[in-house]
Amino acid sequence: MIRLHQITRRYEETIAVNGLSLEIEKGQICVLIGRSGCGKTTTLRMINRLIEPTSGRIFIDGRDTASIDAEKLRLSIGYAIQSVGLFPHMTVFDNIAVVPQLLHWEKKRIARRVEELLELVGLKPAEYARKYPSKLSGGEAQRIGVARALAADPPIMLMDEPFGAVDPLTRERLQAQFIHIQQEVKKTILLVTHDLDEAIRLSDRIAIMESGRLVQYDSPEVMLSRPRNKFVRDFVGADRALKRLSRIGIKNFIKPAATVNVNRPVKQVIASAGSYRWLWVVDDNQRLIGWVDRSTLAQSASIKEAMDEGDTGEISLSDSATLREALSRMLGLGFKCIPVIDDGQRLVGEVALGDIEAATTEEEDRQ
Amino acid sequence: MSRQRTRRWILLGVALGAFLVLIANTGWWETVLRSLFPGETTVIHPRASLLVLVWEHIQLVAISSGITIIIGIPLGIWVTRPSGRDFLPIVTDITSFGQTFPPVAVLALAVPVLGFGLMPTIIALFLYGLLPVVRNTIAGLRAVPPHLLDAAYGMGMSRLQALFRVELPLSAQVILVGVRISVIINIGTAMIGAVIGAGGLGSPIIAGLVRDNLAFIIEGALPAALLAILADQFLANLESSFAYISDKV
Repeated sequence: MIRLHQITRRYEETIAVNGLSLEIEKGQICVLIGRSGCGKTTTLRMINRLIEPTSGRIFIDGRDTASIDAEKLRLSIGYAIQSVGLFPHMTVFDNIAVVPQLLHWEKKRIARRVEELLELVGLKPAEYARKYPSKLSGGEAQRIGVARALAADPPIMLMDEPFGAVDPLTRERLQAQFIHIQQEVKKTILLVTHDLDEAIRLSDRIAIMESGRLVQYDSPEVMLSRPRNKFVRDFVGADRALKRLSRIGIKNFIKPAATVNVNRPVKQVIASAGSYRWLWVVDDNQRLIGWVDRSTLAQSASIKEAMDEGDTGEISLSDSATLREALSRMLGLGFKCIPVIDDGQRLVGEVALGDIEAATTEEEDRQ
Repeated sequence: MSRQRTRRWILLGVALGAFLVLIANTGWWETVLRSLFPGETTVIHPRASLLVLVWEHIQLVAISSGITIIIGIPLGIWVTRPSGRDFLPIVTDITSFGQTFPPVAVLALAVPVLGFGLMPTIIALFLYGLLPVVRNTIAGLRAVPPHLLDAAYGMGMSRLQALFRVELPLSAQVILVGVRISVIINIGTAMIGAVIGAGGLGSPIIAGLVRDNLAFIIEGALPAALLAILADQFLANLESSFAYISDKV
């Protein structure tokens, strides 16, 4: 657990951070967000003492960091930055091994650890360990950066825009992977960003800063539904209702879908189709392969013939998607409901537009 | 990339061997020089064999360049550290002055104090070669991207660890360029040592000037030029193995 108590940092005339108090619980991701120059990076860098606070105290698990040797402190805190900062004269292996080497780990243990980390961030050890950073893509470099920060298994991670330097598509993939990794490693993380969507996506709690002060510190849900003042309201934007949808998983909104096996005789299907206009077509393994319109069914000899074979990846959602993705997909396709599939491409149900609508109004009513 | 480097090293080794064979065979020199200058009675400087002269020359350059490196690189490192930053202007001024001050003048001033021979020559060469080493050490260290240092310190490296693991490896190429320039300058400048009896390839040149014997001058100048080219290629090869900044990042 990290606790900042009345932290202030002055630079001659200006005050970068002003009387900031913050508590980050163990195993949580706290995202510090604000416009550039609001003091968020300064705050981050005071925790591992790259910058010393002018006044105030910082505690990690109850210990005042000022009483710990700065280098020892930093060895116990993972550090990842926007520019990644991989050392160009070292291979990927040596880059990840930096902190374990500084801690004098045994060679075998380091090799094992590097391999483990490369697998964790989804890069093949055999392919990447011997590469130099110049041969990596932006996304790969960022992943190595995260692996390097995790190297000595520090309980705390400080991350300064760790996904800042890549294109939006890669960023989203990295964020998804990061959430996945965090579920596995459960670190206490302080992450700085200026990207609100990133903050909403990754954080357990968001801390919004303005000119060195903490304006609001709440969970993303609360931040979006109950911004404390005009600054926060402006910051989270007019589309905050939409943003809130990205915090809600579709799991609870999946309803059983009307499906039909592709090999069933048409007559039988028409008889049992009820009032459904559309039916999702699945194969013997329950895998989604397309959909069929009931009106065309009557003229067709088999389901296979009547079926529209869509790109199932295009028309369906993964069960880990959010309501925002569901809504966006429905609007894009012009569907009123969308099928949901699991990791094995099997149909698990569908999500309807009306239910998403109901979910948002329900949230509004609760306030 | 690395195969190319290996080939360059092999080529350099061959060139070095050829150079050694060339200077070891005084007979060849005599034949060639005699056919070029049939009018001269002697065409080979009688004081010492060419091999000895080259060896003396290499010693002069090696000792003075060695001192230059041993003092110049730490000096350059020191003035880029927080503890030495205040001395940066003074150090750059003094080293610049060292290079603008003519080595012959250094000899003239040093001989009354240190006497004739090796010592005053080495001091003159050291002062003359210091600037490129110090200047390139400073430039190389300053060119290390700040975010790499941020990463190094942020991960828990001490200043010394960051210096040896990150800053020096990354600036090695630029520092070595300085060393190369310094060594090449010294190979040429070491000629003047002969004036005060330090030996080396300057001896036949001085003798040739005094006796108006062109053969002696060529005997000294040609091996010195070849020596400079060899040293240049050797150090250039060494540099390219530290080429991180240019071909990476």
